[in-house]
Amino acid sequence: MYDAPKSLETTLDQKTAKITARDVQVHYGDNHAIKDVNVNIEANTVTAFIGPSGCGKSTFLRCINRMNDTIDICRVQGKILLDGEDINDKRVDPVQLRAKVGMVFQKPNPFPKSIYDNIAYGPRIHGLAKNKADLDEIVEKSLRRGAIWEEVKDRLHASGTGLSGGQQQRLCIARAIATEPEVLLMDEPCSALDPIATAQVEELIDELRQQYSVVIVTHSMQQAARVSQRTAFFHLGNLVEFGDTVKIFTNPEDSRTESYITGRIG
Amino acid sequence: MNDSRHIASAFDRDLDSIHAKILKMGGLVEASIVDSSKALESRDQELAEKVRRGDAAIDALDEQINDEVANLIALRAPTAVDLRTVLAIMRMTSNLERIGDLSKNLAKRSDVLGQLTQISGATGSIRRMTREVEAMLKDALDAFIQRDPDFARDVIERDREVDEMYNTLFREFLTFMLEDPRNITACMHLHFIAKNVERMGDHVTAIAEQVLFYVTGETPEGSRPKADVTSSDMKYNPEAEPD
Ligand SMILES: Nc1ncnc2c1ncn2[C@@H]1O[C@H](COP(=O)(O)OP(=O)(O)O)[C@@H](O)[C@H]1O
Ligand SMILES: [Mg+2]
Repeated sequence: MYDAPKSLETTLDQKTAKITARDVQVHYGDNHAIKDVNVNIEANTVTAFIGPSGCGKSTFLRCINRMNDTIDICRVQGKILLDGEDINDKRVDPVQLRAKVGMVFQKPNPFPKSIYDNIAYGPRIHGLAKNKADLDEIVEKSLRRGAIWEEVKDRLHASGTGLSGGQQQRLCIARAIATEPEVLLMDEPCSALDPIATAQVEELIDELRQQYSVVIVTHSMQQAARVSQRTAFFHLGNLVEFGDTVKIFTNPEDSRTESYITGRIG
Repeated sequence: MNDSRHIASAFDRDLDSIHAKILKMGGLVEASIVDSSKALESRDQELAEKVRRGDAAIDALDEQINDEVANLIALRAPTAVDLRTVLAIMRMTSNLERIGDLSKNLAKRSDVLGQLTQISGATGSIRRMTREVEAMLKDALDAFIQRDPDFARDVIERDREVDEMYNTLFREFLTFMLEDPRNITACMHLHFIAKNVERMGDHVTAIAEQVLFYVTGETPEGSRPKADVTSSDMKYNPEAEPD
């Protein structure tokens, strides 16, 4: 063992970070929604964002795949690095970025198309399949990874909107996976699901961690505790506390975190 | 530490109820130690009987606390300081229950001791030891109420003195028994009493450690001070004595 020079240590640190946010500020007009957030999101880790409504969880999540670009009054400052590369660089194509950084929303939103086409859509526009056989394979693989293949393999050409809520959400996850992303962003993915469907999606999230970095916004403290290894607590646009989930849920540093997770009046 | 109330006031009521019960239980156990040592010293059979009967109330509280803790964990999924509170209380209650049993055992022996020759000085030493354990318990419970980690650490430190008192007594008893075999029965009883008090001290130390965990979230690093050397000196293991 030897002591690594300080500079080397920081390089190594950045290497294990899949996403690095540096001094990120977001404004909607005059509304300062994210204030000076610095955070490292690790590879092969589920990171949970928790905090009261309106604290900026979704806003910060949308910074990671530049979804805020689509909101006119939204202004993002600071740096977001994906594998060390600035995602806001002029040379980065946001459509390509969103294939690499997939997103799953609160309400399952399958396209009004067949189950097959829901999955095939992304790979088609990104040219990931050379031929029909290739595409079939991607569709099957994605549905399997989305833990829904067994339930839909006999009705791939039925409409995606005909599935149950829980199935639709897993279909949307499978759709997000189909473009071979490296990061999966999920904004309250289970809030419209019953406990069984929720458990299935949580189990899926845990499996996805083998291959992806998952960032999940959730209002359920128990869900954050169950699925994540790291937890970030946001409050009024500030990242108040970030650390190991076990630590946050047994012995948080900040009294605001403690009040929130124990359900106290701040 | 967080003093504000929960949004769900029923959560506060549940926690308050568990809090009240552990403090009540602590009070009963303190009283039991005081009474059993008094009964021992003055060979007061009536007081001894009171201690024995009183143990049922301690056991009942232990059971109630465990039930309420289990319900609270199942229904409210406590986190952070709430989780540490219920975990600490759950362990504290089992330590208190054990101290109650040991105290009952002391009281039981007062009958036997009443019929035995007095061993000079021994009861005085045991009294001092018991008083120290009782004071430690009182301080551990105060540390819990005041959430004072330094106070809790102080209690943990003081267990060393109890261990040393026990070691001294152990050697004295050995000497008496070697001097005159007629002392053996009395000394064996006195030894079990001393050993029980020493074990009470260990349980009080465990309670103080739970207070530390509850307040700071940390379990004290390293093993606690252990000055009882008799079990390594001797082949005989006094821990094996049934209550
Ligand atoms: N599209 C938007 N246009 C204007 N303001 C927005 C928009 N989205 C969010 N905000 C504002 O930004 C702040 C953070 O909101 P949001 O990120 O949705 O919080 P959370 O996801 O934690 O509930 C709020 O004050 C909200 O009103
Ligand atoms: Mg949101």
